[in-house]
Amino acid sequence: MYQIKDLEFSYFLGKEKIEAIRKLTLDIPGGSLIAITGPSGSGKSTLLNLLGLIEPPQEGSLRFLGEEIREMGEKRKNEIRKSEIGFIFQQFHLMPILSAEENVRYFLTKLGLDGKSIGDRVEEALEQVGLWEHRKKKPSELSGGQKQRVAIARAIAKKPKVLIADEPTASLDQKTGREIMDILTGMGSVLLTTHDPMVQAYAKIQYHLVDGQLI
Amino acid sequence: MTWILIAFRNLMRNFRRTAAIVLTVAIGAGALFSFAGFIHGILDEYRETTIHSHYGYGQIHTKGYRDSAYEDPVKHWIADWPRLSLFLAGQEEITSVFPRVSFSALIKNGKTTVSGHGEGVDGSKEAEFFTTLNVEEGETLRDQPRGILLGKGLATALNVHPGDSVTVIATSAKSILNDRKFTVAGIFHTGNAHFDKNVFRIPLKDAQELLKTNTVESVSLGLRHLSDWEKAASAIEERFPALEATSFDELDKIYYKHSVDWLNAQFGVVRIIILGIVLLGIFNTVSAAILERKQEIGNLRANGESVFEVMRLIVAEGAFLALFGSLFGIAVAYAVLMGFIDQGLLMPPGPGQTRQFLVTFSFTWPLVLETVLYNALAALVASFLAGIKIARMPIAKALRSSP
Repeated sequence: MYQIKDLEFSYFLGKEKIEAIRKLTLDIPGGSLIAITGPSGSGKSTLLNLLGLIEPPQEGSLRFLGEEIREMGEKRKNEIRKSEIGFIFQQFHLMPILSAEENVRYFLTKLGLDGKSIGDRVEEALEQVGLWEHRKKKPSELSGGQKQRVAIARAIAKKPKVLIADEPTASLDQKTGREIMDILTGMGSVLLTTHDPMVQAYAKIQYHLVDGQLI
Repeated sequence: MTWILIAFRNLMRNFRRTAAIVLTVAIGAGALFSFAGFIHGILDEYRETTIHSHYGYGQIHTKGYRDSAYEDPVKHWIADWPRLSLFLAGQEEITSVFPRVSFSALIKNGKTTVSGHGEGVDGSKEAEFFTTLNVEEGETLRDQPRGILLGKGLATALNVHPGDSVTVIATSAKSILNDRKFTVAGIFHTGNAHFDKNVFRIPLKDAQELLKTNTVESVSLGLRHLSDWEKAASAIEERFPALEATSFDELDKIYYKHSVDWLNAQFGVVRIIILGIVLLGIFNTVSAAILERKQEIGNLRANGESVFEVMRLIVAEGAFLALFGSLFGIAVAYAVLMGFIDQGLLMPPGPGQTRQFLVTFSFTWPLVLETVLYNALAALVASFLAGIKIARMPIAKALRSSP
């Protein structure tokens, strides 16, 4: 799914240059749940952002489904993020003014689907995460675990090629985290970052990063 | 769920903040609307006063006459007055016609002789239309036989009062001195000392007899509506190519047109100040609101929304705030002004005028639209400025930011 060669990414923290990813070379296959692990500051979130096309690669090569990301314009990257990548964040990032159902529906309306297809996908995704009953509730009426399920439903409803999840269980208790991981397992290609051994146990493949390099 | 609906629902996120912005816009819109209504009221009143003081809606002269000085001006007056009179009577938009002549003359009372500037007018008709003359003593000129209306300065110099006789001596078109006796009908003042010391009015027929002419110097017009002027002027100039029709604002350029321009310029400055305050108020509040939504905006961008799509959402929110605020402000301003001072505000005399006048707030639908548009523009600019930095922020940075 991803082919990475000599990838580099750095940024400045004040005047200090942080080399977050250093000469990383890696092939990431699709179809399974992959965990990117490592201590804080190891570059795992940066790598996930690069894989999600929300940070631009600075040096080296990064290909997604055979397409070189460095050669893409902003429009093409927007298209890919819109339809081929689903995002799940630690803080859920649901729109507070919309119900669970509307949150899932919102990004589908950008895909050029007809009303029935959108409705079917919303229902299917919310059923899949077990929240169809709560579809009319606003985020403020949902627990943390339920909010994360809505976020997952929102991501999978797009039927993306890959799901990218940054610490998806970090804001949840162990029991809820397990429920979330049960949902994510079997969702096809899932790339996630985590510190949590419980989450790591769900991963078929793990990449361990230290100082921006694979160990 | 369209972006426009999302923008609308975003207003409900924080009711107090939305109310604060709507109130800011409403105050700006109310102030703009009231001030614009006031200025329009003054301009309307001033226009009516100008029209009904001397010029009518406009005047007809022979071409070039107004801009030139002649040794023998009578030769350049409107010779074909009877035909012009018939034509004007047939124009449906022309309601009144006021032919006039003017001339230099001497006025004598006993041993006292002063020079003056006479105007021959149709007294009865003019008294109905030109209602702003201040007659201090006696009455205005109507159809009194051999009546004369004197400027206050002239009357004082001649030491005459209504009912007294004076002799007017003028040179005819054939350079022969003529004289006629007149009875003082009234004494007027305008506030313009030079005018009051020189001008007197007598009936048109008497003036023509004095000058031995059947021509008229100018013709002032009364119209059904102000907007009829262009049509009337075109018809006259087309039919009588040797004549030109000039509107009142051009005739009274120094006082009327310049005053209108001056008031409009003043209003423009006040409008900029008010809109600046509105813009800053909205910018501050919207900036705070958008800063709180950095992560959400980052999420929108991460999911493929372009900067344009994010800005469209933010600016649409600003547009809703502007619309609601403007309509609310206009409605409140209208209700307050019409409820409490619908009879108008008493204003001191305007430039070139002698009377106080009542200004009523002149509100029109175009004014409502103009106010909404100006406020919308301020709100859109404020929303754009508040939103563009966050919308263009790197996605990862927006997602990392504190909620």
